[in-house]
Amino acid sequence: MGLGIRALRATRSSALGRIYSTSPIYHRILSPSSPSFFRWIVTTPELQKPDAAAEPAPQPPPPPTPVGGARVQITKPEDAIEVFVDGFPVKIPKGMTVLQACEVAGVDIPRFCYHSRLSIAGNCRMCLVEVEKSPKPVASCAMPALPGMKIKTDTPLAKKAREGVMEFLLMNHPLDCPICDQGGECDLQDQSMAFGSDRGRFTEMKRSVVDKNLGPLVKTVMTRCIQCTRCVRFASEIAGVQDLGMLGRGSGEEIGTYVERLMTSELSGNVIDICPVGALTSKPFAFKARNWELKGTETIDVTDAVGSNIRIDSRGPEVMRVLPCLNEDINEEWISDKTRFCYDGLKRQRLSDPMIRGSDGQFRAVTWRDALAVVAEAAHNTKPEEIVGIVGQLSDAESMMALKDFLNRMGSNNVWAEGNGVNPQADLRSNFLLNTTISGFGKADLFLLVGSQPRVEAPMVNARIRKTIRATQAKVAYIGPATDFNYDHQHLGTGAQTLIEIAEGRHPFCSSLLSAKNPVVILGAGVFERMDKDTIISAVETIAKYGKVMRPEWKGLNVLLLNAAQAASLDLGLVPEANSSIETAKFLYLMGADDVNLDKVPGDAFVVYQGHHGDKSVYRANIILPASAFSEKEGIYENTEGCAQSTSPAVPTVGDARDDWKIIRALSEVAGVYLPYDNLEAIRCRIRVVAPNLLQMDEKEAPTVSAALKPEFTGKISKSAFGTTVENFYMTDAITRASKIMAQCSATLSKRK
Amino acid sequence: MASLIKSAFQAIKEKGIRNVVNELKEGGYGKCLLDGNLLQTKIHNIGATLVGVDQFGNKYYENMQCQYGRHRWVEYAKKDRYNASQVPPEWHGWLHHITDHTGDELLMLKPKRYSLEHRENFSGEGDEFIYHSKGHTLNPGQRDWTRYQPWQPTPKS
Repeated sequence: MGLGIRALRATRSSALGRIYSTSPIYHRILSPSSPSFFRWIVTTPELQKPDAAAEPAPQPPPPPTPVGGARVQITKPEDAIEVFVDGFPVKIPKGMTVLQACEVAGVDIPRFCYHSRLSIAGNCRMCLVEVEKSPKPVASCAMPALPGMKIKTDTPLAKKAREGVMEFLLMNHPLDCPICDQGGECDLQDQSMAFGSDRGRFTEMKRSVVDKNLGPLVKTVMTRCIQCTRCVRFASEIAGVQDLGMLGRGSGEEIGTYVERLMTSELSGNVIDICPVGALTSKPFAFKARNWELKGTETIDVTDAVGSNIRIDSRGPEVMRVLPCLNEDINEEWISDKTRFCYDGLKRQRLSDPMIRGSDGQFRAVTWRDALAVVAEAAHNTKPEEIVGIVGQLSDAESMMALKDFLNRMGSNNVWAEGNGVNPQADLRSNFLLNTTISGFGKADLFLLVGSQPRVEAPMVNARIRKTIRATQAKVAYIGPATDFNYDHQHLGTGAQTLIEIAEGRHPFCSSLLSAKNPVVILGAGVFERMDKDTIISAVETIAKYGKVMRPEWKGLNVLLLNAAQAASLDLGLVPEANSSIETAKFLYLMGADDVNLDKVPGDAFVVYQGHHGDKSVYRANIILPASAFSEKEGIYENTEGCAQSTSPAVPTVGDARDDWKIIRALSEVAGVYLPYDNLEAIRCRIRVVAPNLLQMDEKEAPTVSAALKPEFTGKISKSAFGTTVENFYMTDAITRASKIMAQCSATLSKRK
Repeated sequence: MASLIKSAFQAIKEKGIRNVVNELKEGGYGKCLLDGNLLQTKIHNIGATLVGVDQFGNKYYENMQCQYGRHRWVEYAKKDRYNASQVPPEWHGWLHHITDHTGDELLMLKPKRYSLEHRENFSGEGDEFIYHSKGHTLNPGQRDWTRYQPWQPTPKS
């Protein structure tokens, strides 16, 4: 197909050139060679001048560009083989399939069952190509490419074979595209435009299949299923749940859960994306919009610390759905269910107007001018050491910077981010980052998880660990409360006691740690809240030193953070001066902080809540300043590996809300301590002074690892077991707690987990 | 004519003048004086057989003495606004000589789970009678659409 278009284009351009070059009329009139005075209008000049057809020199066709800009990495030159795709020679590494070779050659092969991240099934037969000296067309996705193979993708035989396959696929596929949610982004729809017939020869009844109940997220219309088994392979290979399977044979074949049960995976939403037809679609998105009405905005997810790349699809001022974006280093092409389905929380419980709590305890809406004046006055009436600021989970780097600058100018340095605990270690970046990086997990052969349940804390990290385990049979050891893993693991113990045993070399696990080549130790950020966290951290560091986890070429000591704001807050130095400042606070500035325990705040303290959702802390607030959510602003978020990424606004802000840093900037002017930045560039210049790595978007600045890790652990260690950090996967922050879909999920799915 | 007047006097004598007036009013004779169509139907009805009455009160008449093709007609229940869409589907066939089965006979064949109740056509009768699909801008549900639901300040603590 590719060659055909290219050849067509070449002839067309040369024909046009010829027409233009021979146009002036007087040439023809004056020229003695013209046979007659009049000349008929002809559309094919070649017929007039027989030698013109042979005139243009056949240009060599441009080198083929791979499909989707894919790059081929040939690690060993001796393993490279050469195949010919439609006559073009292509160099590919050994072991690639014919389909992959065609992709490298820039020929897109139609496919349904083949997915580059799943195992090869080869059951849809849509990818048939002709191979020279092969008697039949071959399924290119399952056929390994052999040296010197001559692959033909646009021959009549290949086209006819695909048309035949398409006819059989459409035999039992309902003609309900007008009411199908996949309509417009359906592989079957697209490919039937190329290979489908305009009428069917099948006069019997179409079969119908009973719909399965896969829970509140995935809607099934099983009659539309073409049995590509992508969902089955995804569930068993990536998500690690054995829920889905194939039942029956022949025309009775259907996808199902065998017994009635829900799909209990935190990645279940991805089957919606990989389903090539409309058999699995999004339940919350059902019949809400068509995909061509939607505007896509590529942005960053903030519901966990991984910073998955997402695309927010919006229609007008409304977020309609969230889809993953490809990022090989972070989320590949998957996202967690929380990321995908929390978007309806953006529409509920929103703070839209500045509000002041009157003397009767009731909130009433006021103007920004009045609200800021009240806050500024209250801040000025407080002693500087009693001013405290707390930054919430979803704050971006700009607003954290602005809040810290503002409170510093007010004379206070008590500003921190929730979840970081007391005395956070912000001096060395390697102490709070995922140093191995998510993609670096692929090389690991041993994982030690300390107080971290990655399946609920960071599902994308968990998926990467699982991928590594599947690929290299890496071992996983786990210290913490018993939880559900979707891979084999060795449960060493529940509390810090086990950790000490390993650090002192008394535990049987030490031998496997020492024998591991690339061990990875992951410390959950949940231990930051513990009183004995310094001891635990130094114990982990001792283990790291002892097991040679941190080496110049292998950085295996990791901290898995929980919140989107955590890494940036530590980079910006949001470290409180005093530990117990919340007990003595008289002026408390909460910037989206909903998970702080406000019981200890004195009753006469003036609490400002700036945020986008009326969640937990607004009930204690004296004044509410509405801010914009992550889908409505541009802001820098640093993920747990230290990779700074920026969100982009998909929808306008609600009501009278403003961007976080703009509110603080305006407040500083009202308060008389002028912050010197008026736009995003200016505040980013300020961030560049404090943490320049935050401005290097999509890049990970590797932390410098101190050679001498703190070896000794002293101090008391509590006997209590590590806690479960994330109690409810589906509800962790203000947005997800406001979401109805997430509430449904936690009601139906968490129970079964 | 004379017999008509005689029978009218007979009726008044039997029932009293008030009852007769009421009966005439209920039968729609009052409107007949203003609406020639109704009067014509009323006159036509004389001597015809009443074949059936449907759920809305429309009366179906047949007179085999009439010219073939004009021998079936309906007297609408509503005297003020009547139109052909008030005839339910089961009587439509009989009325238009599609079938000789009356509506009552056809109703016995009607499957239970199918079809909505018959509604007459309310076109031009105002917005409240117009059907708007779920996604239509004028659907009342669509008109209540809000972009976001604001947090309601409720004193909790």
